[in-house]
Amino acid sequence: MDEPSPTTDPLTNQFDSLNDLAHELASLQDLATRGSWRSILDKVSRARSLNLLTNPHDHLIYVSYNVVALSKLRRFTDASNELDFLHDFNSHHYQYETYPQLYPNWSGSMVPFSLRFIHAQLPIKLGNRQEGLDRFYLLLNFIRQKIKEKERGNLEESVKIWRKRENFVLNCIIGHHLGAKEFNVCLDLIKDLINHNYLDPVLVSKLGYIQLQIGDLEGAKGSFHLVETMLNEGKNGGYPFLSEVEFRNLVNRNNALVYLVGKDYVSAVREYEECIERDHADVVAINNKALCLMYLRDLSDSIKVLENALERVPTMALNETLVINLCSMYELAYVNHSEIKRTLSNWIARVAPDDFDASCTRV
Amino acid sequence: MSTTQQGTHSLAFRVMRLCKPSFHVEPPFRLDPADLFVGEDIFDDPLAASNLPPLLSSHVSKSTDSSDLTYGNRFLLHHPSDAMGFSGLLVLPQAFGAIYLGETFCSYISINNSSNFEVRDVIIKAEIQTERQRILLLDTSKSPVESIRAGGRYDFIVEHDVKELGAHTLVCTALYNDGDGERKYLPQFFKFIVANPLSVRTKVRAVKETTYLEACIENHTKSNLYMDQVEFEPAPHWSATALKADELHPADNSSTGEIFKPPILIRSGGGVYNYLYQLKSSSDGSAQVKVEGTNILGKFQITWRTNLGEPGRLQTQQILGNPITRKEIELQILEIPSLINLDWPFSVHLNLTNHTDRELGPFEVWLSQNSAHKEKIVMINGLQTMALPQVEASGSTDFHLNLIATKVGVQKISGITVSDTREKKTYDSLPDVEIFVESD
Repeated sequence: MDEPSPTTDPLTNQFDSLNDLAHELASLQDLATRGSWRSILDKVSRARSLNLLTNPHDHLIYVSYNVVALSKLRRFTDASNELDFLHDFNSHHYQYETYPQLYPNWSGSMVPFSLRFIHAQLPIKLGNRQEGLDRFYLLLNFIRQKIKEKERGNLEESVKIWRKRENFVLNCIIGHHLGAKEFNVCLDLIKDLINHNYLDPVLVSKLGYIQLQIGDLEGAKGSFHLVETMLNEGKNGGYPFLSEVEFRNLVNRNNALVYLVGKDYVSAVREYEECIERDHADVVAINNKALCLMYLRDLSDSIKVLENALERVPTMALNETLVINLCSMYELAYVNHSEIKRTLSNWIARVAPDDFDASCTRV
Repeated sequence: MSTTQQGTHSLAFRVMRLCKPSFHVEPPFRLDPADLFVGEDIFDDPLAASNLPPLLSSHVSKSTDSSDLTYGNRFLLHHPSDAMGFSGLLVLPQAFGAIYLGETFCSYISINNSSNFEVRDVIIKAEIQTERQRILLLDTSKSPVESIRAGGRYDFIVEHDVKELGAHTLVCTALYNDGDGERKYLPQFFKFIVANPLSVRTKVRAVKETTYLEACIENHTKSNLYMDQVEFEPAPHWSATALKADELHPADNSSTGEIFKPPILIRSGGGVYNYLYQLKSSSDGSAQVKVEGTNILGKFQITWRTNLGEPGRLQTQQILGNPITRKEIELQILEIPSLINLDWPFSVHLNLTNHTDRELGPFEVWLSQNSAHKEKIVMINGLQTMALPQVEASGSTDFHLNLIATKVGVQKISGITVSDTREKKTYDSLPDVEIFVESD
């Protein structure tokens, strides 16, 4: 490999824009937010073959986008192979101080943290759940070590970032246990999160959903009551990540679920309509309202609600779950449902991002 | 699952089981830009620490704004718990699934007119047929549906509490006038099997005046069962108290304390959970209670919940205690000497009580041979059989048995047996008693 040449003076203008962080990062990120994952694979491949990536950190960021793209396209084996090429994330090859001319003021790992996350999640998507969970728990330990290190060095911003990563990984782990219906583990882990000051109305609401899923209705009501208390108490500056509209909608959606479970679908619809009035792109409210209409024997309107959402706010509403529900409704409503499903399928093909799993239409 | 008659019909039934929906769960690949754009340790640098966060957060808020027509919400994290892949989106049941005794069968039924002509005077019936009975769920005979237009639909939802095991058939029939005015009959059948969701195994043990009832509930279903209520309803003359193990975790005083009562959840496909009850007979212990024969303790009422609180309930059959047998004769050892020497006779004090209301006896007492026919180490010293006179109703008699031990150390007095010589009835031997034989 050619000796990489130093970039601009590290003390000036390093963080003005995305392109300062990595070669044509803005373009990569634009493609990613559009869901154009195949284009990302092309771009990475081109950059590699034309030797456009001069610095080690560019290589790593391009690897990250490549691995994310492959994962999004459900090419899990390819993603896994690409990660294997890196061998060891902790190698000195990936440390800033190994290249003092390039990164004179920086030390530590230049590995984007996403690589570690994807490295843990891939085995689970490949069917090797135990390996994946082990990697996640090891990653959790790794993060906690880092937090201690950064605390000792009084590196406040780093501590914040690593705590965010701790929260993130714990949420991933809970999700995987939840998918395997290991409910008691999930309840314990959420309790842990709450006791470590990650208390948050969205998290408590999800605790409530798990309790509902199990059948513990009283427990769920308790959780939702706590969320409502948190809204009414109006903590200083509110909660990060949760605007006022989002918070109110969360409370309405929680109430709707309690009505739904009690089979009072009319009241549930009313709650969801309040949400949609406040935020016409609240897809969870829209989807769940459609289901309630169906349980009220109004199949025609439930179909209209979903079709309407896809038309009005396609980039928010187009998700596999909503499409599965709509197709189930089509199958019930029409004897010859293949035609209408094909129409839907064709529309999706024109509008959907590359990672959309079209098998959900069952066409 | 559905079968229909041959011939062209304007109408057709579409059926979908309407159990509760489920939450969609799928941990996604969604990231934070700080984990993708830069190395994981870059924030150690003070310049990076102050300049990067504003750059990153401005980018995130732009990409996840709902007015921005991109799919950023499928890629970037908006809230940390997005990583769980559990947003509260509900999914309709995707398969018929298993159905169990005690649950409620609920179904959406849609009758479609896929022809180009209106149909009129539609009489719709829906019923459940089992081996034993037919249950009518819906019948529009009294007020037939006037018309279903071409391409139109008539929908209804039926519910039925499942109380029988085995094969069930949902029979949907429509009697209608088609486009030509011909009266047509359309039957459609949807079969399903009802299985047993759980089994309850019980054990009854009596310790002095108290009876303990242990119940083991095993889950045979494909889902975890949340045990909402498991209640034992005792029979008349009995009272029951549920016994619970000591709490493993001390009371939680944090804000989460109240919402964290750990639920009783029995794992699917063979999980078990045990319940223990202490039962007391509420009569005053008079002779009236000692009625020979079976002994009904009570029954269990069990309510469980599965997905999204879907309830099921069952009652067990009557649970029987141990049959009470009247003890006619009771033989007890009252006293054994504390010092027993090798080859030295010693005296054991016994008591024989007659629990019946008539005179019994005369009796004989001896040491029965053990099954291995080994020579006894502790034997009767003297006449091998002791004779006892009759004992009057509810009376008792004391006597002494003269024994001798032929080996030192821990030995057993075994096989003390009494028989009624008149009725020619031998009672069960006393259990073995251990003694310690000293050497001289």
